[in-house]
Amino acid sequence: MGFQYARALLDAATDAVIVIDHRGIIETANAATERLFGYSPAELVGRNVSLLMPPGERERHDGYIHRYLETGITRVIGHGREVEAQRSDGSRFPAGLSVGRINGTDPPRFVGFVRDLTGYQQTLAALEADRDRAREREAEAHRSQARLLAVSRMATMGEMAAGIAHEINQPLTAISNYARACQRFAANQPPDMEDLQDCLNGIADETQRAAEIIRELRNLVRSQLEDRSARDLNDIVRQTRPLILADARVHQTAVHFDTSAELPQVSVEAVQIQQLLLNLTRNALEAVETRADGRREIRIATSQTSEGDVELSVMDNGPGVDPKVEQEMFEPFVSTKPSGTGLGLSISRTIAQNHGGELLVRPGDSGGACFALRLPPCTEACP
Amino acid sequence: MSAKQPTVFVVDDDSGVRSSIRILLKSVGINTTVFASAKEFLAAYDPSQPGCMVLDIRMPGMSGMELQLELNRLGAVIPVVFITGHGDVPMAVEAMQQGAFDFLQKPFRDQDLIHRIQKALERDAAHRSALRQTEAIKARLESLTPREREVLELLADGKQNKVMAGELGLSQRTVEIHRSNVMDKMQARSVAQLVRMLLDVRATGS
Repeated sequence: MGFQYARALLDAATDAVIVIDHRGIIETANAATERLFGYSPAELVGRNVSLLMPPGERERHDGYIHRYLETGITRVIGHGREVEAQRSDGSRFPAGLSVGRINGTDPPRFVGFVRDLTGYQQTLAALEADRDRAREREAEAHRSQARLLAVSRMATMGEMAAGIAHEINQPLTAISNYARACQRFAANQPPDMEDLQDCLNGIADETQRAAEIIRELRNLVRSQLEDRSARDLNDIVRQTRPLILADARVHQTAVHFDTSAELPQVSVEAVQIQQLLLNLTRNALEAVETRADGRREIRIATSQTSEGDVELSVMDNGPGVDPKVEQEMFEPFVSTKPSGTGLGLSISRTIAQNHGGELLVRPGDSGGACFALRLPPCTEACP
Repeated sequence: MSAKQPTVFVVDDDSGVRSSIRILLKSVGINTTVFASAKEFLAAYDPSQPGCMVLDIRMPGMSGMELQLELNRLGAVIPVVFITGHGDVPMAVEAMQQGAFDFLQKPFRDQDLIHRIQKALERDAAHRSALRQTEAIKARLESLTPREREVLELLADGKQNKVMAGELGLSQRTVEIHRSNVMDKMQARSVAQLVRMLLDVRATGS
């Protein structure tokens, strides 16, 4: 390979290519070196390569070569490195440097390739900034949605307030009755120990019941995000049961629970599924209110579909869904109820979709409506 | 019939409230039977059983209000004390208009419940004894002969024996005999008491 040919190759390269000897003295520099550093090849040949480094690095460079030649320990040879380089005007730029030893020369010589990383780094920084912004937007959307869900849960709680107050009043009434009876049984001579025991057991049971309702309420109104976990939908139904019964009592409606014995687990944020279930139950309770005969019933069921999905359904014996509104009722702010916010079903559908599932409506067995949440069962990768 | 112990019938779908009322009433020596639903109560309902009812106004299935209407339809006389939750006042008002004896809001003081129940039991006892009285008067009226009934009507109008004799075309002596028979059969000690009996029977609408 002739010198001319090699020179042309070197000059065509976009990276600076510099050959130095064992002292760091530049022997050859290509055309790109001038573009990157602002020195002509003629200016560079015979100068120490440390000239192209910023102060600090410059003083140490001779030591690096010396150490390599003494010990064979490399700092840069064989691995690319990102370094700071200095132009003839003193300005600096980020550079990608790779160095190789030229074999079979005496004294030893080294060839260095220098690439200007300025554009690359700017692009990288811009990309990272974009990605951060996208992440932030996504997080904000997530937070907004969590806030909306929390607000909507609070609204549901508000609508359920009468039922909840009633449901807490029930055990309080019972506790008060038991306590007064206790006083009388204890005042008898001799005291009626058996009746006293019955009363005390009753007080303990009723206290537990009140505490359970309050615990479920607290669970629902806390607004922070929680992680998804593998859950059995039946457990979630069981947990929500006291609140559902509280609401049903005010609406003088019988609730039947029809839970499948065994269900595969689903990956869910439990509080959201509870919220969806309460939304569907509230709708059902309002739907059956129009029944003139007073036989108001809703049925909450879990099952596994033939496709293997896990289904949670709420069926009522109300007037059913008007086919005309069937599609639009899932849109936000669309409500067929005089005091409805129109958010219940739209939020419920969002919750279903967030969990990779769907919310369906179909006619119920007894003429009413049946809303069903379908979720894919957990795979092995489920959290 | 009259030998039956007065009993409080508690109908509440909430087992805690139901059991606690039963034991509370037991602590003051009141006989209580509890039912979990209106249907359950109706199946066991015996109109001749004296007592009163404690009824939860809100229940799934047949509500307390609906049970009251059903009892009205059956011509039941048993007094009903309603137990209502917070915010059920409009319903309680309606129940009172339908003839409820009283109502109590949950949670209530034990004395308030016991007091109302005692009042209701008194009302039931008075009502039942009045009914028995009316039944007895009706039976006595049935035992009068047609002639004696005519004398009774004139007596009640405050007519003198002489006037009655004239109107009925009988001798005064005969009227006196009929009159004495009427007083005996009706077990009336005075004309005033006799008039009272007639008014009572007529007031019950039969």
